[in-house]
Amino acid sequence: MNDNHVQRLPAEQLFQEEIDALIAAEKNPVPQGWRMSPKSVLTYICGGRCGDRDITPKYIGSRRLVEIAISTLVTDRALLLIGEPGTAKSWLSEHLAAAVNGNSTRVIQGTAGTTEEQIKYSWNYAMLIASGPSREAMIPSPVYRAMEQGAIARVEEISRCASEVQDALISILSEKRISVPELGIEVPAKKGFSVIATANTRDKGVNEMSAALKRRFNIVVLPAPESLEAEMEIVKSRITQLSGNLDLNAKLPEAEVVEKVCTIFRELRKGATLDGKQKLKTTSGVLSTAEAISLLANSMALAGSFGDGVITDYDLAAGLQGAVVKEDSKDRNVWEEYLENIMKKRGSRWLSLYEECKELNR
Amino acid sequence: MERQPFVFGIRHLSPAGAYYVREFLDEVKPEMVLIEGPSDFTDLMGELAGEDVKPPVAVMAYTRQLPVRTILYPFAEYSPEYQALLWAKEHGCPCRFCDLPSDVFLGIRARQEEKRQEDGDGSGSQSDEAEGQGGDGSGAKDSGDDHGAARRPFDVYEALDRQSEDGDHETFWERTIEQCADSRGYRTGAWEFGRALRELSRKDRDEDAENLTREAYMRRVIGQVLCEGIQADRIAVIAGAYHGEGILGGGRAMSDEEFAALPRLESLRTLMPYSYYRLSQRSGYGAGNRAPAYYEYLWQGLKRKEADYGARRYLSGLGAYQRANGGVASAAQVMEAARLARALAQLHGSRIPTLKDLRDGAVTCMGQGAFSELALAVADTEIGTKIGSLPQGVSQTSIQADFYENLRELRLEKYKSVKAMELDLDLRENLRVKSKKAAFLDLERSFFLHRLRVLDIRFAAAQAVKQDNATWAERWVLQWTPEAEIQIVEAVLKGDTVRQAAAFQLKAKTDAGTGISELAKVVSEAFYCGMPLALHSALEALQELAVDAVSVVQLADTAEELSVVIRYGDIRKLDRTPLIPIVSQLFLRACLILPGECACDDQAATAMIPAIGKLCQVGTAHDFVDYQRFLTVLTEIASRDDLNTRLSGAAAAILLEQGSMDSTELGREVERRLSKGIPAELGAGWFAGLSSRNHYGLIARLTLWEKLSDYLDTLDGEEFKRALLFLRRAFADFTSGEKDQIAENLGEIWQVNPAQVSEILNDSLTEDAMEFLEGLEEFDFGDI
Repeated sequence: MNDNHVQRLPAEQLFQEEIDALIAAEKNPVPQGWRMSPKSVLTYICGGRCGDRDITPKYIGSRRLVEIAISTLVTDRALLLIGEPGTAKSWLSEHLAAAVNGNSTRVIQGTAGTTEEQIKYSWNYAMLIASGPSREAMIPSPVYRAMEQGAIARVEEISRCASEVQDALISILSEKRISVPELGIEVPAKKGFSVIATANTRDKGVNEMSAALKRRFNIVVLPAPESLEAEMEIVKSRITQLSGNLDLNAKLPEAEVVEKVCTIFRELRKGATLDGKQKLKTTSGVLSTAEAISLLANSMALAGSFGDGVITDYDLAAGLQGAVVKEDSKDRNVWEEYLENIMKKRGSRWLSLYEECKELNR
Repeated sequence: MERQPFVFGIRHLSPAGAYYVREFLDEVKPEMVLIEGPSDFTDLMGELAGEDVKPPVAVMAYTRQLPVRTILYPFAEYSPEYQALLWAKEHGCPCRFCDLPSDVFLGIRARQEEKRQEDGDGSGSQSDEAEGQGGDGSGAKDSGDDHGAARRPFDVYEALDRQSEDGDHETFWERTIEQCADSRGYRTGAWEFGRALRELSRKDRDEDAENLTREAYMRRVIGQVLCEGIQADRIAVIAGAYHGEGILGGGRAMSDEEFAALPRLESLRTLMPYSYYRLSQRSGYGAGNRAPAYYEYLWQGLKRKEADYGARRYLSGLGAYQRANGGVASAAQVMEAARLARALAQLHGSRIPTLKDLRDGAVTCMGQGAFSELALAVADTEIGTKIGSLPQGVSQTSIQADFYENLRELRLEKYKSVKAMELDLDLRENLRVKSKKAAFLDLERSFFLHRLRVLDIRFAAAQAVKQDNATWAERWVLQWTPEAEIQIVEAVLKGDTVRQAAAFQLKAKTDAGTGISELAKVVSEAFYCGMPLALHSALEALQELAVDAVSVVQLADTAEELSVVIRYGDIRKLDRTPLIPIVSQLFLRACLILPGECACDDQAATAMIPAIGKLCQVGTAHDFVDYQRFLTVLTEIASRDDLNTRLSGAAAAILLEQGSMDSTELGREVERRLSKGIPAELGAGWFAGLSSRNHYGLIARLTLWEKLSDYLDTLDGEEFKRALLFLRRAFADFTSGEKDQIAENLGEIWQVNPAQVSEILNDSLTEDAMEFLEGLEEFDFGDI
């Protein structure tokens, strides 16, 4: 199970010990179909203590939003997490499912090619043709399985699905049952069934959700990290986890490096310097916290594989170049302006990073 | 064990406190109820508990001397103090306020402020805050109670915020104490809360000293009651939870000498209606204030014995507001919000959601996760529009009495209605009536309404009258709101009658005025209010300032403002003689410095042109000013080459209008200004100035157009492009009718068909032409 050959373990395996500890120490009433009480779920996600164990915070940000999300699941309403790219929507959704059910893998990835069958059920056509419709020939979707088991199903990037596919969820969420006319059966959802969907507000190529579907969700908007400190904290904790998983062979980035990356990202995201005194142009892409994390992981990989294991400004500059200048020459100009107007004037601490970036942006 | 009075610790404006204090009193059945509140307010209790009193109401004490200091005690229906008062009245139980008298409060407050000022700038922010609160009167009540912390022991509340699970002490209070299921729970909870707060906040020595003084006084009052022969355990004390321990803590009671030694400021008191909106504005004033209407729902819920009534009422209120205002909020969504709020409450181990839970539930289920969707509904539902009322004649302040007397005398009583009504005034003497009073009724009305306006009492709003400059006519829209009543009561701080208060207000404005145009506004306000004394003092201040260096623009504004007063003064029966020397002095000074100030950039010139116009108006309107000098100055400006050409042009335009410049002179001037060699933008600027006043006057002068045409003929291609740009701007604000007439002129000069020219002139630009002109705008002419 818990072997190191898997590239990415699901949350419930990665944090199995914490989950087990919380379940063992449970004192509060546990809702039907759940593995722990809502309070323990909150502790699991926002961090805290369980007996003599420290529970690491998984989501760093407004605790209240997590409370609202958990309470939504308690009232067996569906939960919709909305936010800009990289605001930990999927991350939160995965951990919620892991804590509530100990299984975050009942997931449908929404794409332009997602069909209604993938939401409800499809067939093993060989068996269907050979022996006609039967329970065995049917392939239940993650949502179907979640209903049968009274658990949580996740729908990622719901707004990327075509509208008619999205709307397939309407009847599931209001009737809480799926009918299979081919078999003449109806599967009612067991207690504990719910759906966590995530949707993006800023991506291109999304389909606006219908009002009818939106009404069936409780909507929680996840904001970008509130302060530089919060964002640094998020980046730091995730990097620590990642470097363990990925065997990056590099030292963890120093606080100063994290601070620089977060500062650049926040400023370019907001279109103003941190002190609010100077306006900036923003890039075409969203510079999310998630990207800051992958940028640093990438820099660590560079340093570990080709350098002496310590992130240099050169490694960082390469990562920044790739993250900031994504689409066209416009981004290049924005980056150039930022380098010349802001970074250059920040003094000696930023000087070598500035020079490396300038070199690369030529 | 020694027998002790019962102390019920409360938080002001706490519905549960209000409900349980009654239960508590029913249980204890005291022979004397002591309530925290200035002891000299005791004789107002009867009125406060009157049947026709509809809370929220407030008791205000204010000093007679300047600066006016106030303390304010607002009571809502769910104030524990108010309910205790009602209980005492219903049960025929004697009842008193037991805190320091208001004059002592005001004295202490004044002394603290002095001390803070002496302490220097280090505590600048603190004294600001204290001033703010002292000014609006909440300071006194705040200090010392559980939410006295709003003043300074901020650290205590921040610590509480950090410690409590909800991250917010208001929610903590609501969840742990407000939702107590019985009287005993509330009493012990509040007691503990107050005790802990007391321990934590003993840092500010001033604050602490004040609280100890107050508690010593409360013990003194208790001692007095004991002396009257009432047993200690027959006394119930209703006081802020913070004081609980202080009262029973075994300290010494205040002696007569100590009491006599306390600082005092002579004060007056009044009852006044209050509003939920005002309650909510006193941020930091403690429970209930944030959301008075919501707390009232809680109170109703307690009375109905339905614990979740408040939650239901609140969420349905939000839904109803959304629907009424075009939003979407189905009953299903309201129910979902209620379920979510309950789940949130359960997450914190309680059954009943708090305001925060409800709001978050509503935002998630009804507002699609965005607070902004619901912001208006939330404000409406949490704060509400309730305004209290007092029966007529209850503790009226002198200014209220004066106001009503004025309404009666001026026969305006029928306008005191919630429906807006128009009132047209004719300020001229009414010759058909006999008495002098009746003849000038409308004028007196106008004075009165203007005074209200100066006092910011929103009862009457002046409307623009259609007929320009008909100074004898005024149109007002009158509409009564309870808010106006509150504003009137507050105006008592400024004076005992409407007239006095207005005079005070004008005096204050005079003292605060730093510029002459500001003071000129005060002068004209005083003029509209018919208050010669205020007018004179503002005028004096103005005269003093006028000696200093001021700009022409200010001088012109001031002279014009005063000129209006002089011109129309007699309709308001006002002696205008003192204004005359000032206006002529201002006018003279403007004339003297005008040429100097005309050497300025275009931006300053834009402000100068109307100023010169105003001076011209003043000059023509009055024969006591030196108008001839003004014209001489203008002639100088018009002919000088080293000033801003736009102003030279504007001066020429005025001279033309006034007949001091004839066509030949104009022709010569045009030629000179536009001659070759003069940079085109200067010439165009001059032309723009010339045309800035009177378009028709220019159009009518054919010579002008001939010269202009000649000028254009002399330009080469590049120069023409440059001139085009500026001339285009100069003609931008000519109407198409005016352009027609120009076309006629040009047609005559060029011997072409005027209709054709006009068509070309009025035609909108083609895209190519637009682009060309835009190119010119950005073109760098090098010599600019």
